[in-house]
Amino acid sequence: MADLDGLAAAIEAGDRGSATGLTREALDEGLDPKGILAVMTASMRRVGDRFQRNEIYIPEMLIAARAMKEATVILEPHLSKAGVRPAFTAVIGTVQGDLHDIGKSLVGMMWKGAAIEVIDLGTNVAPERFVAAAREHDARVIGLSALLTTTMVGMRDVVAAVRAADLVDVKVIVGGAPVTAEFASQIGADGYAPDAAAAVEAVKALVGLADSAG
Amino acid sequence: MTDPHDAPVPGPEGAPPARALRLKAVGCDVLARPLYACAAASPHVVDVGLLRRGLHDTPASLRDRLQAEIDAAGNGDRPFDAVVLAYGLCGGATAGIRAHGVPLVLPRAHDCITLLLGSRERYARELAATPGTYWYAPDYVERSDPATDAASRALLGIGASSDEQLVAVYADYVERFGKDNADYLMEVMGAWKAHYQRAVFIDTGLGDPARVEALARAEAERRGWLFERMVGQLDLLRRLLAGDWDHDFLVLRPGQELGMTYDEDVMRTVDTRDPSGVVAQPDPSDGPAR
Repeated sequence: MADLDGLAAAIEAGDRGSATGLTREALDEGLDPKGILAVMTASMRRVGDRFQRNEIYIPEMLIAARAMKEATVILEPHLSKAGVRPAFTAVIGTVQGDLHDIGKSLVGMMWKGAAIEVIDLGTNVAPERFVAAAREHDARVIGLSALLTTTMVGMRDVVAAVRAADLVDVKVIVGGAPVTAEFASQIGADGYAPDAAAAVEAVKALVGLADSAG
Repeated sequence: MTDPHDAPVPGPEGAPPARALRLKAVGCDVLARPLYACAAASPHVVDVGLLRRGLHDTPASLRDRLQAEIDAAGNGDRPFDAVVLAYGLCGGATAGIRAHGVPLVLPRAHDCITLLLGSRERYARELAATPGTYWYAPDYVERSDPATDAASRALLGIGASSDEQLVAVYADYVERFGKDNADYLMEVMGAWKAHYQRAVFIDTGLGDPARVEALARAEAERRGWLFERMVGQLDLLRRLLAGDWDHDFLVLRPGQELGMTYDEDVMRTVDTRDPSGVVAQPDPSDGPAR
């Protein structure tokens, strides 16, 4: 009998060996890949909740997200065979002039953990690259990160570039240590998230999805 | 420009005030030597207080610490004419701080690098030219604190990730998460080094710059960064402590707090007596309202 509780626990503990092993076992036993994915995304949601309650910190988030990511790699072929597609695609990156990577990557991994297709453009990303990637991948969302008060103003340029490019269905969501909800609304961003866990709910709300990714 | 500062803020640009002012200066210890030097040279009577560096890692707690210092200076039995902060926005840490009892003055700066380079324009030029610049300042190196630096990922300084500290962090991760995860975390946490291309040592001419420069240069070589030495410019700090507060400074009066502007003005006054939080009465020192 597949140990889905064990799979959930392995992801939450960042035990990638067990997480991948138990995913394989569950698939071998013929479990519905969609059901396995639901267990995984619920795990990541619990990880996010614990992070928001300050029970765990970034290292725990990072290792849980990695375990989730590796288990998902095993699951993905079965999901696509079953016709399960990610709900939507999001492009993410750190704005021009800013080389901070960890927060942005963590949000990207949390989004992946919520069954969103994520295109990570890395750091020091120019506005036109965000626009081009959103177009190329038919993204619904562009996520922007900045860790410095000197670089966060670059988010305004990305919002402007997105609006100028007439990507009407593309929503822009911003975050990063110095970024505030007030700033987000001031630059005309569509969304804001104070941390990587909140970014999951925020991005789903932006594209009008109820909290049921899986 | 007319004098933007009503009483009781001392006259900044015109004639020197009739008497020496009593100033309370609170600064980050990254700026210790420059602060002492500028305090010593100031025509005013300056008390200098230092807070340890790295507090900006948790902006809310730095804000609380600074507010406590400001409140204490405003309440104290020694009457100060103004409190000056040798801090910039510091990741938003100073956003929301309030003047208490006496005026509160800050340089319009994002962080200490502006104060060491002498102007926000020069800092902006350097950042635009090479975003991946790692800054070294003498006091930062001299005052590194092994107990608190291991977790710090500050943009400046040798101490933030000395080999000994990294070994300690790694051992802690191995114990808590196992070796496989510890290796991964060190790789992720250390990846920022690959994004940097240049190390800059800012020579303020104070203390023993040659010794600190040698340390900075050795570390830059070890990390494969280009090394540059820049001559520091302490004009902003000098003027902060000399009471020469033109548009390069934000002067908050009691009842006002600091807001971020997200432009070249960096910061603005917010009148807290106005519940809408809009900009206080037009203040020519304060840039356009928004």
